[in-house]
Amino acid sequence: MATTDSTKQTLAQMGVDSPTKVASLFDDLRSAFDRDVAHEISSLDLEAARVKWLGRKAGILAEIGDNWLKPAAKEIKPAVGQSLNALKAHVEGQFTALAAAKDTAREQSAAARDQIDLSLPGVERAIGTRHLIRQTYEELERIFLSIGFRVVEGPEIETPYYNFEALNIPEHHPARDNMDTFYIEGSKAGHLLRTHTSPMQIRTMEKEKPPVRIIVPGKVYRRDNPDSTHGYMFHQIEGLAVDTDITFCDFKGTVEYFVREFLGPKAKTRLRPSYFPFTEPSAEVDATCHVCGGSGCRVCKFSGWIELFGAGMVNPAVYGCVNYDPEKLSGFAFGMGVDRLAMMKYGVGELPVLTQNDVRFLRQFP
Amino acid sequence: MKIVYNWLKEFVDATAPPAELRSRLSLAGVAVDSVEESAAGPVLDAEITANRPDCLGHYGMAREVAAIYRLPVKALQPKLKEAAIKASDATRVEIEAPELCGRYTARIMRGVKIQPSPDWLRQRLEAIGQNSINNVVDVTNYVMFELGQPMHAFDLDKLSERRIVVRRARAGEKIRTLDGVERALTKDMCVIADASRALAIAGVMGGSESEIGFASRNVLLESAWFDPITVRRTSKALGLRTEASYRFERGADPEMAELATRRAAELIQQLGGGEILSGVVDVYPGRAPAPSIELSRKELLRVMGADVPDRDIEEILAALGFHPSRTDAHRGTPGSLLAVWQCTQPSWRRDASRGIDLIEEVARHYGYDKFPPRLPPAKQPAHRLPHAEAQDRLRERVVALGYQEIVAIPLVDARRDEIFRAEGVAPAVIGNPLAEDASVMRSTGIVSMLGALEWNLNHGQRNLRLFEIGKTYELRDGEPVETAVLTLGATGLAREKTIHEAEREFTFADLKGDLDGIGKLAGRFGWQSGGPAWLAGGLASRISAGNSGALGVAGQLARRVADQLKLRQEIFVAELRLEPLLAGIEAARATEKFTLIPRFPAVERDFSLVLTDGVKFAQVADTIRALAIPELRSVEPADLFRGGKMPVGKFSLMIRVTFQSGETTLTDARIAECSSQIVAALESKLGATLRAS
Repeated sequence: MATTDSTKQTLAQMGVDSPTKVASLFDDLRSAFDRDVAHEISSLDLEAARVKWLGRKAGILAEIGDNWLKPAAKEIKPAVGQSLNALKAHVEGQFTALAAAKDTAREQSAAARDQIDLSLPGVERAIGTRHLIRQTYEELERIFLSIGFRVVEGPEIETPYYNFEALNIPEHHPARDNMDTFYIEGSKAGHLLRTHTSPMQIRTMEKEKPPVRIIVPGKVYRRDNPDSTHGYMFHQIEGLAVDTDITFCDFKGTVEYFVREFLGPKAKTRLRPSYFPFTEPSAEVDATCHVCGGSGCRVCKFSGWIELFGAGMVNPAVYGCVNYDPEKLSGFAFGMGVDRLAMMKYGVGELPVLTQNDVRFLRQFP
Repeated sequence: MKIVYNWLKEFVDATAPPAELRSRLSLAGVAVDSVEESAAGPVLDAEITANRPDCLGHYGMAREVAAIYRLPVKALQPKLKEAAIKASDATRVEIEAPELCGRYTARIMRGVKIQPSPDWLRQRLEAIGQNSINNVVDVTNYVMFELGQPMHAFDLDKLSERRIVVRRARAGEKIRTLDGVERALTKDMCVIADASRALAIAGVMGGSESEIGFASRNVLLESAWFDPITVRRTSKALGLRTEASYRFERGADPEMAELATRRAAELIQQLGGGEILSGVVDVYPGRAPAPSIELSRKELLRVMGADVPDRDIEEILAALGFHPSRTDAHRGTPGSLLAVWQCTQPSWRRDASRGIDLIEEVARHYGYDKFPPRLPPAKQPAHRLPHAEAQDRLRERVVALGYQEIVAIPLVDARRDEIFRAEGVAPAVIGNPLAEDASVMRSTGIVSMLGALEWNLNHGQRNLRLFEIGKTYELRDGEPVETAVLTLGATGLAREKTIHEAEREFTFADLKGDLDGIGKLAGRFGWQSGGPAWLAGGLASRISAGNSGALGVAGQLARRVADQLKLRQEIFVAELRLEPLLAGIEAARATEKFTLIPRFPAVERDFSLVLTDGVKFAQVADTIRALAIPELRSVEPADLFRGGKMPVGKFSLMIRVTFQSGETTLTDARIAECSSQIVAALESKLGATLRAS
């Protein structure tokens, strides 16, 4: 093309001696560039074109600078300079745009080629799980920690004194009927497997002065023939609060707070008078049935309520065993079946599944 | 206790339908599980707590209903047509053991026609789950369910000398009870005897010899009060629980005894005719004045935190039979904070003897719902268990390593436990187990772990990684000791085959890696060869932690043991004592400090060593570390090779040594200097040679 060859010559050689001729010359060159680039856009070797036009030594624009601008006559030199800058900006701009377009095209075709089947699973790392009972314990602990309870633990192999007598359950008390007990062979002290976490009420009060505010998680044992709701072992969490100013109203507020935190803000609480040797007044704590929401169904035997756990004000007889003054102190205690709470909340129909440790169960609660 | 609605209404004019009664009773402390229809009308199934034997009869339930609705209870006034002959002329009652029998009343009926009971009586008994036998026996049962007072009817003609002796059973004495079983008695037991022999086990069950049959004509009706503890002991010792023993062991009402014989005589006369001899034979050595009980408003407020109006207090206590009367100086002031009521304990409420008992009575009938809830202010900080944070970190780590947490029942099979029990450990054996496979408290968590693995393998789950944080149990000098442990168990594939990866079996190296991952929390675990016999010899290991000493064991279950337990897969287990582990985690945490990340590049150098069999990697690493090269960062095994071109007795170990300086980029010359130091040390100390590459 004549135009590009023209850059090998000087302007004087081509007879360009006026700004008009300079402009026209540059217009031709610009058209040539546009043709050149447009023509080759599909198969364009972008790098080669860039070298041809913008190459530092032999590029067309470099030649213009050497051959046209430097030797240009004084009167047309500014016009040449301006035109050269304009052309350079155009050429550079075009190359940037072309490079971007080419990258996009390349990415698109690569994406189309590499598109994976997203319905296939990835590589999943085997991560374990915490047991549902553990998760429930953590939830219960969080709730009671938030209102100032401290967590303590105690032995599972207990003495009859802590498990029964100190809790106002003497040897021939009929309340022992509900607490069939496993005894340890050959123990002089008559050791047994604790039937509830309540012995820690006594052990704690023996050691500490009020105010006492504790919860006691742990395993307990009953000599029951196993069925869908009974096992040799289950989990409890005991609670005890004793101080100079704890009343039934505080007891009520605490269990209501617990029920709302554990079962949700809509859950209502009902206290039903009951009997436990170590509390008085005693209560069964009921919550609105989680299945029917209180309207009555088979699960709640059409009462709208589900029994959650037993509780009450500490029986003054218990204070006698720990040297607390029953005339000055008062408090409340509760004992929750954690398995039962977990079963209720997560719809587990059978108690045994909680200790069978079938991984198909364990994985259900990640 | 089943309550027939229409029967109840004979004693109180409640108009509430059964469904309402159910919920009102439940909210007053008598939980009613259900209401069902029967031939005798609606029946409420009530759960009576152990402290309320007075509610084990319709009359007692009527008192509760009366208190709920503030209605009067109808008095019981049986009407008897008595003959001129005195009962006391026809029989004699002697209580030889007044400590076992506080009262014995007897009434005599003659010429009674024993026959089947009428429909109304049969239906009521059947509605509460009792079989009808004959009119006299049915009446004694009926009166028990009406008044809560157990009764017994003797065939008077079968009594030697027609008299009653209440005494302790004699050594070796036997009796055939109504259920046809011959029972051996002991002198702790109380019997009803005639002049020569035991006729009935007091408060538990009658004997067949003096039983009422269709041929009987003359009847002695017994209504007595027996010592609760004696009845309970006797009933337990004989394994004989009856409706009578259930009531006596909870405490019957001694004042009800006489009334019950009257009621029974009235009914028998209605149903079977005959004559009632006049009067009752009543021996009452246990008579005691009714205790008085004080209730003060101050105490009520202190316990309940909110007040109950005077009128409610008085109405409730009156309805329940406590006869409250204000005795304080402020009687004219209603609602006085200084109000005090003196009450009398009714004979049927031996459970209520203190002010707190009256507070409970008032509160439950006033309504627990009327007391406002309030959260007590906390005066102390809340605390988790002492090592809770460390245990969280441990559990989080084990879960992240892919182990599922299990929770097992620590009661296990004694024979299985024995396999894993360390020598000299005395197990905590259950004296009264319910089943062979739950007869001892486990000596190790391994037993439970293998049980859980077995369960899963038997249910088609063969790739398992489980852990438990639990306890082990033993006796030391007769005292129980409970030790917290972390137990791991793994079997099957470490990685299952997927479209991305090939499968890989779980190996000892996986277990070791997992444990070392746990060990990083506690500084670092040390490993020593050897371990209990139930681990496979070559892989049995003992684990220790720097500052905590011996922690536990790890390895593969010995084939012999696995076979014995019918576990076909290779099983890997570990058990670590929790307390020192948690202490180690806490100690490590306390010393963890930031170290500057080096700015200069690290340089790795591989050394291919030929070593004599038996030389351990640790010796190689220690030899290099002993050089105390300041730039030494790590010594890692890179490749291990035996056999092939290796001469017998030798093996090849490639180690990768990393150098890095905190101050400068290392020069080739410095690396070469370190390398030759290392090679020289390995050659001289371990006889290693560099393998020609």
